[in-house]
Amino acid sequence: MNGVNGVTRVAGTAPHQAPSPPAVTPEAGRLAARLGYWLRRPGLVLSVLVVGAVLTAAILPELFTSRDPLTGVPAEKLRGPSAEHPFGTDQLGRDLFARTVHGAALSLRATSLAVAVGLVAGSAMGLLAGALGGRVDDVLMRCADVLLAIPALLLSLAIVTALGFGTTRVAIAVGVTSVAGFARVMRAEVLRVRGTVYVEAAHAAGARRHSVLLRHVLPNAAGPVLVFAAVEFGAVVLAVSALSFLGYGAEPPTPEWGSLVSEGRDYLAGAWWLTTFPGLTIAATVLAANRIARAWEGEER
Amino acid sequence: MARSRRRTALPAVLLVSLLATAACSAAGSSSRDGGVGDAGEPRSGGELNFALASDPVCVDPHQRATNDAIYPARQLVDSLTDQDPETGEIVPWLATAWEVDDEARTFTFTLRDDATFSDGTPVDAQAVKDTFDSVVALGAQAALGSGYLSGYAGTEVVDARTARVSFEAPNAQFLQATSTSALGILARSTTELPAEERCTGNVVGSGPFVLDEYTPNVSVVQSRRADYAWGSSLWRHQGPAYLERLTFTIIPESGVRTGALQSGQVDAIGGVAAQDEASLAAAGFTLASRPNPGLPFALTANLSRPLPADEAIRRAVSLAVDRQEVVDTVLSPSFTVATGSLAHTTATYTDLSELLPHDPDRAAALLDDAGWVPGPDGVRVRDGEELRLTAMWIPNFGPNENALQLIQQQLRAVGIDLRLRTVPLPELPAAQEEGDFDYFWGNTTRTDPDIMRTAFSADLRNIYRQPSGTPLQEALAAQNATTDPERRAATSAEAQRLLVEDGSTVPVFELTTVLGVADHVHDLDFEASSRIRLHDTWVS
Repeated sequence: MNGVNGVTRVAGTAPHQAPSPPAVTPEAGRLAARLGYWLRRPGLVLSVLVVGAVLTAAILPELFTSRDPLTGVPAEKLRGPSAEHPFGTDQLGRDLFARTVHGAALSLRATSLAVAVGLVAGSAMGLLAGALGGRVDDVLMRCADVLLAIPALLLSLAIVTALGFGTTRVAIAVGVTSVAGFARVMRAEVLRVRGTVYVEAAHAAGARRHSVLLRHVLPNAAGPVLVFAAVEFGAVVLAVSALSFLGYGAEPPTPEWGSLVSEGRDYLAGAWWLTTFPGLTIAATVLAANRIARAWEGEER
Repeated sequence: MARSRRRTALPAVLLVSLLATAACSAAGSSSRDGGVGDAGEPRSGGELNFALASDPVCVDPHQRATNDAIYPARQLVDSLTDQDPETGEIVPWLATAWEVDDEARTFTFTLRDDATFSDGTPVDAQAVKDTFDSVVALGAQAALGSGYLSGYAGTEVVDARTARVSFEAPNAQFLQATSTSALGILARSTTELPAEERCTGNVVGSGPFVLDEYTPNVSVVQSRRADYAWGSSLWRHQGPAYLERLTFTIIPESGVRTGALQSGQVDAIGGVAAQDEASLAAAGFTLASRPNPGLPFALTANLSRPLPADEAIRRAVSLAVDRQEVVDTVLSPSFTVATGSLAHTTATYTDLSELLPHDPDRAAALLDDAGWVPGPDGVRVRDGEELRLTAMWIPNFGPNENALQLIQQQLRAVGIDLRLRTVPLPELPAAQEEGDFDYFWGNTTRTDPDIMRTAFSADLRNIYRQPSGTPLQEALAAQNATTDPERRAATSAEAQRLLVEDGSTVPVFELTTVLGVADHVHDLDFEASSRIRLHDTWVS
């Protein structure tokens, strides 16, 4: 790790040692290195573009389409993809592109909420377990083991059945299933950081226990947990879409990616575009999120 | 009496069909609408795999009212009478004769003496009494049957073969009701069980098939009774059924159902999706269809809720719905627009299409007059309250969701925000009792106009919270209080008019049963209420 990075650092950030191009300033060199990093990873560039587009669609769907996702022209039902309707029209004559774009908002909101639930609850659990140790650690981590023992989809189905239908509830249900993963990562990091010299020094200097925990342990343990959140993001998009596909999401006609695929499956024989395009959108988002998370994970190490 | 009718009818039909075609066994199917296929002599043996579009939830014929529950249940039980799908005439089945007094309050049935339940006990007057008593005891859980037996005073066992059913008030519809599976005769070993146990598979009837196994959301398996010899007088043949085994496989996705039929995994499917009809027909499958009598698919108002209690809103909803567009967009040409409170094949049906126009301008004017002004996002507002209605629906019919989404769009055009709320099938009865909905979307199949009373009477389940003492309630009671056909038609027509006139119910389209049947399946018949009858069905 040191070797590779060391070489690039020497070439890029130390121009005074390189005689030939005197015009290259340290800033330009850093820029070139960064550009080179991206140029060598076209997949990552594409992933960032995809996630960026999806995020933009979630916040400003009007940028992509001016059509109404809820109202269609019944006479134009089940038209294939065309210049006018890039994704075709559905069984009620609604523009599928508009529905997919507007579906991004709900699907991503649910995903963000689910990741947030997992991140906050899981981190708190892991932090407490790691910091307090002993009985508390045992109890909390056995709870995490129980959560992990139940298949995630089954657990989220059970929770959403108990909570009732709706996008927010689906998000909470999916979030709860990822709590255990976050708790484990956080606990491991807390245990690692707790043994470091600077934490011992802080204790020796007389800092209070909770202030050491919040000011020294948490910030230094957070990195891997945030990377884990990025990795989870892709999986959660899939889980939210799965529950929405099963009909636990928003009531019709509100579009969600999962429900769009589900609505189209009865027309698979005659109208392939109804399931294909929302399905590809989900797949692209999940793959892109995973690629970005992987890159971030590499940086973190 | 009907036995002799059949003896005279059969040769006549045979003659007609011989003149028409050279096929010698075409008699049955040409005399009954909807019958499928005929090729050579019927063959005994083999099995039929029929794909249902939704889970029956309960195999007890008394407890569930969805078509997918009735398809398997109908094969397990016999009824006192049967109804001719063509003429509507009530003919003998378990009862060989009956007498109805002039007031339609006592019905005396004479039973045939050879019928037995599959547990060996005889089908006698005591069994009739036990059955009806248990339906009344089930109450709201027997959604249809308890309504048919409203005002039940009791059943008297005159002798082993004679049962006298009496009512506190005239009950003209009861004779037709005895032909339905909702009042099919069950053995004591079933009627004495608690309701839940009957649902899971403890159903003993006297029908041509016996229940082997019900696995919820998977299948219902039945096998034939070798000693069955008391079929309805309407059936093509007497004696045991031709098929040895029936498997009803539950396949909720219409596309998968169609694929299962095309690939030969099943022999027939129910609930053929509109978009699959053409491709199935082109691939050589028979599409058997028959319009269902009864209440058409409709949005029906819950009058206890403040918004639908307002007649202006109800009428605006009715005017805003474009029925033709619904049929053209989400259904197939097999379906027709609703033209009244009842489907056109129901007895005493009255055409009320002039009361059911599509007129969004008038709907908007009605709402304007009532003080509902268009709000910022197009939804009308009055005193800060938005014109938002909740429609509850169940996924028991494939096109429901698309039809409702289209209606939602149509109502939105006049400023009404219709919210949709799905209820899983098993939770429907509880949700209806609870009443947390402005409109309920659904239909009910029955050949008798009294289905209006089952749905709308203030004295029965009354899920729509109809007030008592209204002209509608009087008309509903009156049509059931007379056996005089003319008087019955007049009072029934009055009730039909009252129901649509003030928008209490907004009929949209009539259900048509559409089955997809492989060409090796023959004589898959419909009974009077368009449910399947498999006693005469055979496979080649």
